[in-house]
Amino acid sequence: MPHKVVEVSNLVKRYNSFTAVDDLSFDVYAGDVFGLLGPNGAGKTTTIRIMMDIFKADAGTIELLSQPPGAARSHIGYLPEERGLYRNLKVQEVLVYLARLKGMPGDAARQRAGMLLERVQLTDWANRKVKDLSRGMQQKLQFVASLVHDPELIVMDEPFHGLDPVNVELIRSMIQDLQEEGKTIVLSTHQLNMVEALCDRIVLINHGRPILYGELAEIKRHYAPHTVRLRTSADIAALPDMVQVERHGLDLRLTLDAAISPQLLLRELVDRNIPVEVFEVASVPLEEIFITVVKEDRHE
Amino acid sequence: MSKIDMNKITIIAQHEYLTNLRRAGFIIMTALIPLLGLIALLIGAFFGGQAMEFLSDQLGMDPQEVGVVDQTAGYFTPVIEAYQDRYHLLANEEAGRVALLADEITTLLIIQEDYITNGRVTVLNKGSGFGAAVIEDSRQARAFFVDHLLRGKVDPALQQRAANPFKIESVTLSASGEDQGGGPLGIVSTFVVPYFMGMFLIMTIFVSSGYLLQSVAEEKETRVIEVVLSSVTAQELLTGKVIGLGALGLTQILIWLLSASALSGGATALLAISIPLMERPEVLLLAVVYYMLGYTIYAILMASAGSLGTTARESQQIASVFSMAAAAPFMVSSFLFTNPNMTLARIMSWFPLTGSTMMILRLPMAEVPAVDIIVSIVTQVTSIPIMLWAGAKVFRMGLLMYGKRATLPEVIQRLREA
Repeated sequence: MPHKVVEVSNLVKRYNSFTAVDDLSFDVYAGDVFGLLGPNGAGKTTTIRIMMDIFKADAGTIELLSQPPGAARSHIGYLPEERGLYRNLKVQEVLVYLARLKGMPGDAARQRAGMLLERVQLTDWANRKVKDLSRGMQQKLQFVASLVHDPELIVMDEPFHGLDPVNVELIRSMIQDLQEEGKTIVLSTHQLNMVEALCDRIVLINHGRPILYGELAEIKRHYAPHTVRLRTSADIAALPDMVQVERHGLDLRLTLDAAISPQLLLRELVDRNIPVEVFEVASVPLEEIFITVVKEDRHE
Repeated sequence: MSKIDMNKITIIAQHEYLTNLRRAGFIIMTALIPLLGLIALLIGAFFGGQAMEFLSDQLGMDPQEVGVVDQTAGYFTPVIEAYQDRYHLLANEEAGRVALLADEITTLLIIQEDYITNGRVTVLNKGSGFGAAVIEDSRQARAFFVDHLLRGKVDPALQQRAANPFKIESVTLSASGEDQGGGPLGIVSTFVVPYFMGMFLIMTIFVSSGYLLQSVAEEKETRVIEVVLSSVTAQELLTGKVIGLGALGLTQILIWLLSASALSGGATALLAISIPLMERPEVLLLAVVYYMLGYTIYAILMASAGSLGTTARESQQIASVFSMAAAAPFMVSSFLFTNPNMTLARIMSWFPLTGSTMMILRLPMAEVPAVDIIVSIVTQVTSIPIMLWAGAKVFRMGLLMYGKRATLPEVIQRLREA
C-alpha cells in the first residue's frame, strides 16, 4: 500500500460568517494523480491555498509529505489558478529565481530550466522577456515554473485553462510522464475529460463539503451498474431483461435488470445469433456524475 | 510560527537589488545628481563669475528693476549712483504704471508725500502680491532708503554703516565650549555639508521605500505573488525586499559620494570635505543610524500599503498617508534654523514616523540634547519589530485580495485575529 503524501482531516475555513471549507477530509497516496473537483465556489482554491500555507485553516489538520503546510515547500510545486509571472524579467531568469526560492542551487536550476523549456518548446524564448510571450506560452512557462525544482508533490489549479488543444495534449502527456517518474499530482480542473484520462482518485466537493470521494473507476461503476454499450445491426428491442435501451449514435446503451449480468447478456446474444460489433461494460461520463451529484446535493 | 529562512531572504534581497538596479528610473535618478553637478561645474568653468552673478540675480531675494516715484521733498532725487543700476527715477505715478505694464520695471515704489512722518510707501507689482514682502525683506531696499535719508546729513562712513549695519562672522561653539570653526568654512563644514548629506539620506529613504511599494504592488497586480508565497513566508518576503532595496539606497548614496569626489578633484577633495565632518563625527554616525531606522520603518509601511491596493496607482494613494507623515518635519524645517531644539521639533523626534527625518534635519544645526537622541532611537528600535509583525500580517492579508481593496475595519480585524 503506497504511503500517504497528502492527508487532509476535518478541514474548516471560514470568512466571517461564510464557511468556505466545511469538514473536508481526503488522502492522496504516493504516485496518484488525484482530482480535486467541484462547481465554482465549492472551496477548491481555498483548500489548495491552505495546503500551500498561503491561508491558515480555522480547524482540522493537513499534512503534506508527513509535515505541516509550509514545512515541505521545497518539495512541492504549485501552479495557481491566478496566473502571473515577472513580466519584465527574462524567461530563464524567472525560472531560476523561482527554483532558487525553493532551495535549488543556481547552476542546477539553470540546467533544469533549459531542459524543461525544451520540453515545452520554449527554448528559443529563454532570453526574451516574459511580456514578449503569447498568453499560451506564458501558461506553459508557468506550468514549467511549478516543476523546475523537481518537486515530489505537484499541486495544479486549472492547468489546462487557456491552452489550445495541442498544448492541452502537451501538458496532459507531461502530467503522465510525471506520474511515471513517481511524482504525486493533485489536480483541480473543470475539464472532466482530462480528469477521466489522468486521475486515479478524486474528491468532489460542494459548499466546502465532500460529496463524492474515492477511486474514479469505482465511482463510475457505482453510477453505471449493469449498463452495457452494444453496437449491432439487429433489432434487440424484444430482448427480455432490459430495464432501459438508449441509442447514442451508432451504439445502444442497455441498462440491464439486476438479475442478469453483462456476461449472461452476451451469451444470450450469441445464442440468438445476433451480430455483435461492439460489446463493453459501459460507464457513465464523469460529467454526468458530476452534474447529477451536485444537483442532488443542492436539493438536500 | 514557522522558522525564518535566512537563505531565502538573501535570495529575495539579491533579486530585488539586481532587478531594481537595472530599472531606468533608478539609473536616471542616480545619474541626475552628478549630472547636475557636472553641469554646474561646466557653467562655472566657462562663465565663471558671470554665472555666479546671474544665479545671484535670478535666485536672490532683492527686487530686480525698481521704478521710483519721489513725492517727498526730493529725498530720493536724484538716485544715489550706487543704486542707479537697479533703481530708476520716474516722473510720476502714471509713467511708473506704464513702465510696469511694459515690463520695463518689475516693481514700482511710490514714496508718498508724507513719507517722513508716516513712512508710507506704495508698492506696485504686476500679477503678484508678493512685491511688498520682497521690498520689506530686502536688505538692499532698506539700504536704499537709509542711504537717501541720510545723504549729506551725516558722515559718509556713518551713512554707509547705517545702510549696511553688519557683516556677520559666525562661530559655533560645541557643548564643551570649543570653537567649531568660524566664517564661511565653518558654516559649510558644520552645517551645509551635513545638512545636504541629510537631505540626500532622506531622499534615498523615500526613493528606496517607493521602489518597495512599486515592487509589491506589481507582484500583486501581475498575480505572481501567489507563486512566490507558496515558496516563502510573507515575513521572509517582506524582510528580503526591505534589505535588498535598502542596499540599493546605500548604493545610490555611494555613487553620489564618489561622483562628488570625482567632480571636485578626487579623493583629496573628498578628504577635505570629510575632515570638517570629523569635527562632529557623531553627526555622520547618527545620520547613518537614523537613515537605517527611517528606511526600515518606511519600507515596512510602504510594503504594507503596496499589498492593500488593487493596482499600483491605488497602492500609491494608500501610501500617501505615510508620505504626508514623512513630509511633516519638512513643514517646520524653516523654524529649525532659528530654534532647532524647539518643543515641536523634539516631540516629532520622539515619534517613530517622524523621528528619523526630524533628527537628520536637526543634527547639523545644533547640539541636540542626548535625551532626544536616546528616546528617538529607542522608540524607533522598539517600533520596528511591532511594525514588522503587523506589517507582515497586513502584507499577507492584502496580497491575495484581488479586485477588492481591504477596508480599514478589515485590516484592524485581521490584526486582532492575529
